[in-house]
Amino acid sequence: MALIPKESIIFERSVPGKVGMDMPALDVPIASDTRPSHLKRLSFSAMPEVSEVDVIRHFTRLSRWNFGVDDGLYPLGSCTMKHNPRINEKVASLPGFAQSHPLAPAKHVQGNMVLMWTLQEWLKEITGLAAVTLHPAAGAHGELTGVMLIRAYHISKGSKRSIMLIPDSAHGTNPATAAMAGYTCVEVPSQADGTISFDDVTDASSGKTKKGLLSLLKEHGSEVAGIMITNPNTVGIFEYRIGEIAKLLHDIDALLYMDGANMNALMGVARPGDFGIDVMHLNLHKTFGTPHGGGGPGSGPVACSIALEPFLPRPVVVKTSGGYELEWNRPQSIGKMHSYFGNFAMEVRALAFCLSHGSDGLRKATMRAIINANYIRKQLEGTYHLQYSTPTLHEVVFDDTHQSKHGVNTLDIAKGLIDRGFHPPTIYFPLVIHGALMIEPTESESKAELDAFIEAMLDIAKGAENNPDSIKQCPVKAPVCRLDETTAARKPVLRWKAPSANS
Amino acid sequence: MRYLPSAQIEDQALLTAIGVEHSDELLCGIPDSLRYKKDLNLPTEASELDVLRQFEELAGQNTRFHSCFLGAGAYSHFIPSAIDALTSRQEWFTAYTPYQPEISQGTLQHIFEYQTLVCDLTGMEVSNASMYDGGTACVEAALLAVRLQKKKNIILVSKGIHPHYAEVLRTNIAPHDGIKIEQVSLKDGVTDLEDLRSKLTPEVACVLVGYPNFLGCIEDLVSISEITTPAGALLVSVTQESMAFGWLEAPGKLGVAIACGEAMSFGNPVSFGGPFLGFLAVNDVHKREMPGRIVGQTQDTNGKRGFVLTLASREQHIRRDKATSNICSNQGLVALRANIYLQLAGPTGLKGIAEQNVAKAQYLHAKLVETGKFEAVYATPYFNEFTLKYKGDITSFQDACLDRGIMPGLPLGQYFDSMKNCMLWCATELNTKEQIDDLATFVAGLKV
Repeated sequence: MALIPKESIIFERSVPGKVGMDMPALDVPIASDTRPSHLKRLSFSAMPEVSEVDVIRHFTRLSRWNFGVDDGLYPLGSCTMKHNPRINEKVASLPGFAQSHPLAPAKHVQGNMVLMWTLQEWLKEITGLAAVTLHPAAGAHGELTGVMLIRAYHISKGSKRSIMLIPDSAHGTNPATAAMAGYTCVEVPSQADGTISFDDVTDASSGKTKKGLLSLLKEHGSEVAGIMITNPNTVGIFEYRIGEIAKLLHDIDALLYMDGANMNALMGVARPGDFGIDVMHLNLHKTFGTPHGGGGPGSGPVACSIALEPFLPRPVVVKTSGGYELEWNRPQSIGKMHSYFGNFAMEVRALAFCLSHGSDGLRKATMRAIINANYIRKQLEGTYHLQYSTPTLHEVVFDDTHQSKHGVNTLDIAKGLIDRGFHPPTIYFPLVIHGALMIEPTESESKAELDAFIEAMLDIAKGAENNPDSIKQCPVKAPVCRLDETTAARKPVLRWKAPSANS
Repeated sequence: MRYLPSAQIEDQALLTAIGVEHSDELLCGIPDSLRYKKDLNLPTEASELDVLRQFEELAGQNTRFHSCFLGAGAYSHFIPSAIDALTSRQEWFTAYTPYQPEISQGTLQHIFEYQTLVCDLTGMEVSNASMYDGGTACVEAALLAVRLQKKKNIILVSKGIHPHYAEVLRTNIAPHDGIKIEQVSLKDGVTDLEDLRSKLTPEVACVLVGYPNFLGCIEDLVSISEITTPAGALLVSVTQESMAFGWLEAPGKLGVAIACGEAMSFGNPVSFGGPFLGFLAVNDVHKREMPGRIVGQTQDTNGKRGFVLTLASREQHIRRDKATSNICSNQGLVALRANIYLQLAGPTGLKGIAEQNVAKAQYLHAKLVETGKFEAVYATPYFNEFTLKYKGDITSFQDACLDRGIMPGLPLGQYFDSMKNCMLWCATELNTKEQIDDLATFVAGLKV
């Protein structure tokens, strides 16, 4: 345990009089105080008084309580935790980019314009779609932008539609996004092979029947604005009837949105624009290797068909004979989704990722990600239960059916992995699989790393059978043991308060 | 490809173990007709050195300026060296959202501290873990207010809000049929209280006011809340320059129900507008309607203090279409930079930097007016930005400055028809007296 540092909350280390930052002496006259007296800042209640050393030690120690991609395999399914190349960090911080102002006249930021234009061209070619906006700041923000393009499309045709179809295996952001864009969500059930069901599905235990895609399209008809499909879906299965789905939707002038969270399975292998997708988002922080930053910043560019291009958020980068310009006059644009151009520094990193890989490298990355996931699947499929026997691409979703017989559930398995030196997979998602363990190794892992992970998973399964308590008490090697989330939600403590303020 | 562990011998071992001869067999789930059989029409892989050269060349195509007097929502401030050093630790920047709290305590405690600091700066009781930027924070604040206000459906927006934020708000409210946005005009650079009063019908859910506003003016939130609160509307402060919190009273102490805005100024480069840092804070009574991630304190099974993501029943992964927002990834690492910045600065440091900003802006204002080419537009107090009117054509003035290697302020005519030839000037602690004097000399010498 000696290697796990102790550290308090910074506010508890505050000592009056300490300071960690200084400024040059003021070289202009001292400001005259023009504030009305009631608008004067008088005091702070928490701001700590600490030195630079205190702050450096604080964040260094805290950092060691985290697990990062450089620590090892981070198989968080659907999050694509691949290697974050350091050259990408370096180029994003070049002063020419970092010090460029978003409101600078276009002719003074031509480097940025070329960069955005070039990245858009790469993403167009990779997706097979006609246009791209880089403005969305994250995946969910891309979804919202894309769904708003769909809305603008229908309005332009004089038909305001109210319904968005969403498969039951979808990420929560899909229905939340559709609701934020003013749509009513209608769920489409999965069928026995894990893909979207065209036919009605009767639940074996409850006897209830859920309408399949065909019935839903019949019922809601011209009220259907579109469908949001993740492909490959959250189980890692390619929606092999995507072409038929596109035709069904297009026949009633509804549009097909693709959640591109799993694009790491398709680079150079299949292009959404070629199989009927009208609009989709990409996660640069997943597929294109930009770091996740402990929760962000991400970047969620949207690619769309030529029919949706007029509605893209403004301004749009355009190439003219005299260089690149920002086009603000876009009468059909939905407007602005971000104050400026999205998370630009992430766009820089993503282009560096693209250039480094090249067309050949991108396909190789996808193929290796698929190989790695299938290797794990093959090695673990006897030991852990697989709900669907359908072939999978870049990820594999097991569940705890076998282990729960011994009282060891998915959460326990996840915590067991922590004690064996790995980040757990995504757990209890997708909802269509009870006790899901969603494993996505990405292309970054060598055979040796995969084998070590597989060994850990097998060891946990063995422990579950022979000594369930040894798994259920995990983790014991992490900075903290299992945390009481119930009390955290029931009696929320959401900020630090000085002891006197607590009493 | 340097990032791929693709030795022929290893690939073959994996394929053999899987039981296929060729990797393309693993694509059997994708119908043959849907596969892409060609090579992507893109360049082939590039070495690290080639990539570096290409980006240095691109970065070099952006003009570098001797001095910059442009803010308008993207502010250049000094960034202490400790910030890059700390945030380049892989434990911070490569980790994901802290879904597994036992191995994410660093991130979780950082967010808890960040939330505490946002509450301190804004005078509110609950902050979330961040929003994308100032514009999207306004959207979430307005939607939050409408949820809290049940049947009220009008969002009043002061014309002093950053026009980009206002457009992001309009764009995102448009799909909500029942919700209307109305604008409140300005008088002397601040929200016109008479116009506000006349528009405060019982249907008004909230009022968004800049603090300081886009034109640099300091709105008197007390006078505004004295009008909005009795009318049953929630006052939302929108702060596009959070450095002002070192000089101005916390909005939470002035009658504001929701404080939101942009906090990129704490430790982040302008970086062509992103990644930035949206913040959103409310009082305790409204916490269960908050959008976004929130971290809370708890204990582990041994009674040791720890932190978790909490109040998740508001969020998309639990509530799906009933969630308070669709936000998932936020601006975590940018919030970390702000957290480190604020800890380094401390209360004294922050006040000192804020006062330097005011001093530099006042000096810039005086020197520009002294040239005789600019005149003040408003008498209202300002923080580090202010509006002046040029006696000639502002576009040619801007070009002259740019040619000289000076980034001047923002011409305002593009945003406000009535402000032709007006310019929004900004000075921060980075602007030296010498830069300002040089600018003044240059401006004085221009022919109008």
